[in-house]
Amino acid sequence: MKEYRDKPKNFVEPNAAELKARGRRNIGIAVALAAFMIFVFVTMVTRGSA
Amino acid sequence: MTEASTISTEAEDFLPVAQSTGMSLAEPRDYFALMKPRVMSLVVFTAWAGLVCAPGVMPIWKAIASIICIAAGAGASGALNMWYDADIDAQMSRTKKRPIPQGKMSPTAALTFGIMISAASVWTLSIAANWLAASLLAFTIFFYLVIYTMWLKRTTPQNIVIGGAAGAFPPMIGYAAVTGSVTLDSIILFLIIFMWTPPHFWALALYKTGDYGRVGIPMMPNVAGAKSTRFQIFVYALILFGVCMVPLFTGLGGAFYAVAAIGLNAGFLALSFKVWKSRAGEREEASDEASLYEVQKGDRAARNLFAYSIIYLFAIFGVLAAEGLMKGFAS
Repeated sequence: MKEYRDKPKNFVEPNAAELKARGRRNIGIAVALAAFMIFVFVTMVTRGSA
Repeated sequence: MTEASTISTEAEDFLPVAQSTGMSLAEPRDYFALMKPRVMSLVVFTAWAGLVCAPGVMPIWKAIASIICIAAGAGASGALNMWYDADIDAQMSRTKKRPIPQGKMSPTAALTFGIMISAASVWTLSIAANWLAASLLAFTIFFYLVIYTMWLKRTTPQNIVIGGAAGAFPPMIGYAAVTGSVTLDSIILFLIIFMWTPPHFWALALYKTGDYGRVGIPMMPNVAGAKSTRFQIFVYALILFGVCMVPLFTGLGGAFYAVAAIGLNAGFLALSFKVWKSRAGEREEASDEASLYEVQKGDRAARNLFAYSIIYLFAIFGVLAAEGLMKGFAS
């Protein structure tokens, strides 16, 4: 059976500035989420032991 | 024109033409700028002072966690404020370089960020400290966004008088994080910032009348005139002097505080008197300088009071915190 693949229409390649900003945002989100997880974990554990 | 580009969204109105795909150009530092770091530093300091002034001992981890939550909550308020005020921010020299007017991020991204950080900070403060502190933080965010930004700011010249309450809550939240209560002392900490806010902001507004007038924000100098504003600044400085003496009677401030408070308030009063007697805010040409501290001749008294008021608040709360720490070591 023939596989159906639609060709992308109106696709615009992101420029370097957009890719760079996205990369930095991804790192920022990852770091912030990790810090938040650790923060909540430490807060809850120490609250239990206080 | 492509089909995608014909779809008009609120976000697209703010996107710079240099972008090819419409992807956001916002980097982590833009999100940090969204949190108004200068305001946040004052919030962190006053919250810490409230925490230290409170009777009772708080484990260090709990204190650090509480201050991080209060700072995050304040930052979230800043983001929500920038989301709502993006239209006027673009027209004002002081605010046109903020991330949304610059087109680095969409207002929706700022709104999402603000809501997420608000929820996270309030919830985490309830775990780290108690529900009273968390409720006060939630109320502060609500007050700043809804009461001040959405309602008062564009409708009354008393906007920053009433809205100033939002900036006055952090020491009360810090105090409540330790004690789990609201007391006379924490209300005094609140009142110091509450009475400090009008002269602080009106001093700035006196030499930024052009900015506020251009976007239709009814700041006191634009509505009541420069002369009336200068007099009101002096009246508030007098009331502030009185409020700052109250800790001497409740036991919150000691001898060190008495000397510092009298000196600092005498300076505040003297500069306010100079503003009252100056012609600040009366020039014909509106100021368009981007800097907070560059002023035209005649406005210097107002600029000096604005700069001093920032140092003043740090010093007053610094002295209260130092005495609180000394009491802690003595007991």
